[in-house]
Amino acid sequence: MALPLPPSLTPQEVAFLCEMELVTIIPRQKLQGLELLGGSTPVLNPPQRSDIPLWLALLLKRQRRANIVPPAWLHPTSLTAILEFETEHSKEAFSPPPKLPPLSDALHATSPPFLPSSTAEAPPDALPYHWLEMGEILLEAAPEDFEEPDHVRRLMRDLREVRMAKLRTGVEVLDAGGGVKMNGVGAMEIAEARAFIGGVIDGLRKIGASREQARREREAEERENGFLGTQDDEDDDMEL
Amino acid sequence: MSSYYSPSALLTDAQKVPCTFTLTVPGLGYLDATPEADLASGTKVSLPLWLGEMLAISQNLSTSSLVKLDFPPALSERVLNALKADPRTVDLRQQAANFYALGIRMLDLFEHEEMGEVLTETFKTRAASIADQAHNPRGALGEGADFLRGLDESERELFKAAHDSSKAVRTWMAEISKK
Repeated sequence: MALPLPPSLTPQEVAFLCEMELVTIIPRQKLQGLELLGGSTPVLNPPQRSDIPLWLALLLKRQRRANIVPPAWLHPTSLTAILEFETEHSKEAFSPPPKLPPLSDALHATSPPFLPSSTAEAPPDALPYHWLEMGEILLEAAPEDFEEPDHVRRLMRDLREVRMAKLRTGVEVLDAGGGVKMNGVGAMEIAEARAFIGGVIDGLRKIGASREQARREREAEERENGFLGTQDDEDDDMEL
Repeated sequence: MSSYYSPSALLTDAQKVPCTFTLTVPGLGYLDATPEADLASGTKVSLPLWLGEMLAISQNLSTSSLVKLDFPPALSERVLNALKADPRTVDLRQQAANFYALGIRMLDLFEHEEMGEVLTETFKTRAASIADQAHNPRGALGEGADFLRGLDESERELFKAAHDSSKAVRTWMAEISKK
C-alpha cells in the first residue's frame, strides 16, 4: 500500500465536485456577469432570484451579499416524506433519484451538475446525487436561510443512518454473480461505502474462484462432448 | 495464484497442514522428533503448506505422491459445522490467522463443494456484522469486542476499510462546520 489514500474519492473531493451544482440565491447587491472559464454567471439584480454555482453562492453568502434559497427537497416536509418512503414503503431499495427532464431538454443536460437538481425549482420528492454534501454545506454556511435548520439537520441525520444501514445489509444478498441495486445512492454515500463493498466482493470472488474454475472446466467439457451448436463465445471473453 | 509480494499470502504459505508420508524416507526422521532414523511410511507430520503442497502434487517415478495431504484442523468438520450453526460466534483467528486464505488454498487443491459454500456464507454474514461494528463507535469496546478479536486477517482489513471511510466522512463534516 504505497498510496495513503483509499482507491476512491475522499469526502473532500466529493464536496469539491458538489460545489459545481447550481443553487438559487437572492442577491442583495448588484453584480455584473463574470466571464469565467466554466461559462459566464448571470447578472445579479436584487431582488431577482438567480441560479449560480454553489462555490460562488458560498462566497457571496460569506460576504453577506446574498441569501441562499434552499432547494425544495431540503424542506422539512419533503425530507419527512422521503424518510417515510425509505423506512415504510421500500425497506430494501433506496428512494429513486429525481426524474430526468423530458427528452427535448435532455439533449443538453442529462446529469448533474448540468441538470439543476439543487435550485429552488428542483423536484421536492427526490434526493439528487449530491444530496448529503449539499445539505450539510448549506446547513453549515447558511442556517439562517432555513426555516427550521435543526429539524432539517435531524432529518438529514436520520436519512443518512437509514440509507447507510441499507447499504451495509446489501452485502448479505451479494453473491459471486449477484448484485445490489444501488439506484439513487448519493455521491458521498458511494465514497463512504466503496472500500467496504469492494472488499467484500473481492473476498467473495477469491473464495468462489476455484468453484468458478471447476464450473468453467465442466462447461468446456460438455461443449466438447457435442454441444457445439450452443457454443457461447461470450463466456470465453470473460476469462482472464 | 498467490501474490508474491503479499505478506498475508506468505503467512498463509507458512500455515501447518497435516501430511501423511506414503513412502519411507531415509534420514528424515528429525521431522518426527526421532533424529538419525528413517521416516517410516504412514507417519503423520505437520508441514508448512508450501512444502506439503509441493510434496503432495509432485509425483515420483512410480506415479504415487510422496505425502498425502489432509485438511488442517482449522477447516475440520467440527469447525465447518460450527460455522454452519452460527458464523458470528466462531473465533476464526484462533483457528488460523489467515483463515479464508487457507480455505481458498485448500479449495484449490481439493474438490469440496460444501466447504466453498460454508465459507461464502460465513464471509457474507460476518461482513455484515463487521460493517455494523465499524460504524458503531462504541462497538469495539462493548459487546462487540469478542467478535472483533476473532476476525481473521482479511476481515480485519475489511473492518479497517469500513471504519476509515466512515471516519473520513465524519471528519469532513466536522471540518466544514469549523470554517
